[in-house]
Amino acid sequence: MPTEHETKASSDEQRRASAAARAERAARARAATQAARAARAARAAEPVRVVPKHEGLVRTAHWAHLALLIGLILSGLAIYWAAPVFRHAPSPGNPRGDYLVDAGRVLASPFGGTGNMPNWFYDRFSAGPFQLANALRLHWLFAYLYMACGALYVAGLVRGGGWRALLPRATDPAEALAMLRYYLGVIPHALSRKPWPHPPVAGKYNALQRGAYFTMPLVGALVVLSGWAMHKPAMLGWLERLFVNYDGARIVHFTCMVILGGFTIPHVILVIADGWDTFRGMVTGWSTRLKGTPHA
Amino acid sequence: MPERAKHPPLGARLAGALRRAAEAAAERPEASRETTRGALAKRSRRDFLLFGASVVATAMAGWWLLPERTKRTWFPGTADRLDTLAARVGLTRMQREAQLNRVLTFDDDVAEALYSHHRQVRTYDRPDPRPLRNNYHGRTPGPESLAGWRLNLSGLASGRRESLAIDELRARFTRHDMNTRLVCVEGWSHVVAWGGIRFADLLAAYPPASGMRWAALRSNVGLDGAGNPEPYYVSIDLETARHPQALLATHHGGAPLTLAHGAPLRLVAPMKLGLKNIKAITDIAYTEAEPADYWNERGYSKYDGL
Repeated sequence: MPTEHETKASSDEQRRASAAARAERAARARAATQAARAARAARAAEPVRVVPKHEGLVRTAHWAHLALLIGLILSGLAIYWAAPVFRHAPSPGNPRGDYLVDAGRVLASPFGGTGNMPNWFYDRFSAGPFQLANALRLHWLFAYLYMACGALYVAGLVRGGGWRALLPRATDPAEALAMLRYYLGVIPHALSRKPWPHPPVAGKYNALQRGAYFTMPLVGALVVLSGWAMHKPAMLGWLERLFVNYDGARIVHFTCMVILGGFTIPHVILVIADGWDTFRGMVTGWSTRLKGTPHA
Repeated sequence: MPERAKHPPLGARLAGALRRAAEAAAERPEASRETTRGALAKRSRRDFLLFGASVVATAMAGWWLLPERTKRTWFPGTADRLDTLAARVGLTRMQREAQLNRVLTFDDDVAEALYSHHRQVRTYDRPDPRPLRNNYHGRTPGPESLAGWRLNLSGLASGRRESLAIDELRARFTRHDMNTRLVCVEGWSHVVAWGGIRFADLLAAYPPASGMRWAALRSNVGLDGAGNPEPYYVSIDLETARHPQALLATHHGGAPLTLAHGAPLRLVAPMKLGLKNIKAITDIAYTEAEPADYWNERGYSKYDGL
């Protein structure tokens, strides 16, 4: 049995030893932190090459356009509900012969929808039926902002010189065919694990992208023009005549909506397929993917 | 001729200009620039924070603007809670109504700026063959509304109130015919063959008192859906009323107006939405201040200029 003195001495020793161990551990931790900090500093100071991709105003307009397009389609369809331009003969449950009501029935059936749901489509894909006055106010709000957004986009294209990358060129048809062939082959080649090289792209965009990104602003301009033709057919009679008549403007306006909305589907799929760098490019404006590095 | 040699031919000059334009429009080679990873991360962080904040702000604004019916359809369980949250940051329903009505007023101002007294509204060779839709909001007035019908005028320079029978109006004023498009706020439209007297002629014969800027048009024979009396009233600015194509129509399709289309006298102002084209007018009062308007009180625009 150890004496009281011995016990105290050994506990002193233990205390000293543990203090030393603690100090050593702290020193090690400090060193590690310093090393990590130094490594981080070194990494932060590492040079990287980036390519400026999208001018700031273009990026702002791009994202604002997304929100405005959603608002315009929701309110626009709620206005369309009041008097559809595309109609067939009246049928039971669809006295106005509105094709969108039929579309709603088809879409509703997998969700247990019944045959008599005249508002199913408009409740889900628009600001709602019986909302004409409300939807008109919303549509004007978004429409004025949409035009401002378009102006912002054009200003950004001019300021950043991005317009040059959008212009069609003589080599586009051949290049577009090569790109189509490439896209069609992506999945079969991935499944069979065979290499499938991306066709060479000379500029910022491939020919298909260029075609789409050149067309969309034009469709945007057309949707605004047809909108004004409907909004002020009496004072802007020349504009109404440009679309033959009032219903002509309505049909063009509706078609532009389908094109602008439909464009987002392949656009989003391709951005997801292309990867983070492409998405980040539209938020931050730059890309680390330099020309000559392998394309995703 | 030595002078000629100095100027290259037009073709060559055009080709040169075209080549220079093509060069200016040609895509520039990709210009990469060097930076540090740290600087890039800092900028990226800032941009993504800004992006995230914008997404949140847009979602909030979107929720605020969404019609009540849509909120309840889309988010049946959480609509009330989200509304309470939105109200806490000041995004209340009342605020929304006020702001959206400002949008409507802004659009009306644009319409008024676009309006020109001298601009003719498009006319057509022939009207649409199908029958014109009767879009009476309530029930169509019956033939009893025609008995003893008179047009009452007030707010005149003479200080008197005038009361005119339809035959008097037809006899005193020249009839004008026009095929113009009636455009409904709902989106449908119809080219109609109208005939009637010019509002401008009535204004000249019975001038409004000085300082009057508006005409309050009223139909006292209007009925609601259940058949109870419900007057219909619209405001028309006198600038529009004086337009040569603003008619007080008595005929439609070559025949006198039917009850469904506003017998015996209706407004046809093709530079205004259909809802301003009031049927079966019984009263016209000229006013200084903007008079009440039936559909404006129900959330539609005031000016309704096309």
